[in-house]
Amino acid sequence: MTVLIGSLSCTVQTCYDDTDPLMNTLLLASGTGAEAKADSLRVIGFSETSDTVFVSQRSVSSFSVPLDPGNDISAFRIVINGTSDTVVIRYTRRPHLVAPECGYTILSSITSLRSTHNIIDTIIINSKSVDLNGEKNLHLFY
Amino acid sequence: MAKRTCIFFISLLVIFSGRALSQDTVTVPLHIRAGYDISSPVIKLVSHDLISYGVVASADMNESFAVSAGLRYTSFSTSEYSYDFSSRGISFVAGADYNFMKPKTAQGKYYAGIGLRYGISVYSEEAPRIIYSNPWGTGETSVPLSHHLGHYLEVTPGVRTELFPGLTIGWNLYMQLLISSGAGRDLKPVWMPGYGDATAGMTTGAEYYISVSIPYKKIRVIIKPKPVETEEEGEGGSGYITPASGSLSGGRR
Repeated sequence: MTVLIGSLSCTVQTCYDDTDPLMNTLLLASGTGAEAKADSLRVIGFSETSDTVFVSQRSVSSFSVPLDPGNDISAFRIVINGTSDTVVIRYTRRPHLVAPECGYTILSSITSLRSTHNIIDTIIINSKSVDLNGEKNLHLFY
Repeated sequence: MAKRTCIFFISLLVIFSGRALSQDTVTVPLHIRAGYDISSPVIKLVSHDLISYGVVASADMNESFAVSAGLRYTSFSTSEYSYDFSSRGISFVAGADYNFMKPKTAQGKYYAGIGLRYGISVYSEEAPRIIYSNPWGTGETSVPLSHHLGHYLEVTPGVRTELFPGLTIGWNLYMQLLISSGAGRDLKPVWMPGYGDATAGMTTGAEYYISVSIPYKKIRVIIKPKPVETEEEGEGGSGYITPASGSLSGGRR
């Protein structure tokens, strides 16, 4: 214990772990279910105070965005090939200790989602748990 | 003729009785020990986050094995830039120690061996301030006070010597393997009393203790087993038979 405490008190602890849980979404072609690359993709998170652009890319077949850790609901405007849809995601939150040197992060579990259907055909929950494991959470068919 | 025959049988009797008496023994005192981990004040000087007081006890079962137990009170609190955390609790370990030293060398006074112990930790934890931030912004939350029961295994190589009759001093290194923190995957404690950082599957450390030692029994230990004749003896071979197992052995049992 002395050895351990000595090392704790004499060195600055550095965090090497990933501390940002992301909701990962796969873009799929409606009908075939094959992976579908969007020519352009923008994902904007909007809240009462401000909008945040999380993704602005060309030729992508998946994207990852964080959920709002301060609320049980996150709303996104997803613009695929110039056509916009709104997706609202509800979830529960829980604190999670990553490591003593990294501190805590907020993990989420998706409970439901709704979307408009301008370009999105269907969006389904593949894995509810938005954590640090990098699982694909949503399948977006368009 | 009868006289010669009589002398022959008496000679055989003397030879065999001499062999029967040739095994060597040593008397080993068995002790009960009760001690205090004197690294606690050092810990308090080095780290203001941790307060830890531990007592240890052991009782020799024979010249090699001892049962051992320990009780420790730990209080830990830390304030980092993104969180405050505190935990407090009592840990209890119980197991056995094996002394690798030969009884003749150890004499019931010295120990250089390894112990295996099972530990449980009864503790409470809370994180009254957690700051999080991501592209959505920065917020604050907390984890309320909760009570848990943790389990771990402890492997403890160590040494011990008698300072003077009735008082021993010793070092134990320990390697601990976490079985369960009892707090679930998300709220593993930053510091589990008796174990340490519960996000790590293994922790290491050391304890430095001073013990009162009371002899409660003396046992005789055979250090050189009784030699027996083997079939090869006539060709120069010989062996020893161990009293416990009856198997042939050439060294210490």
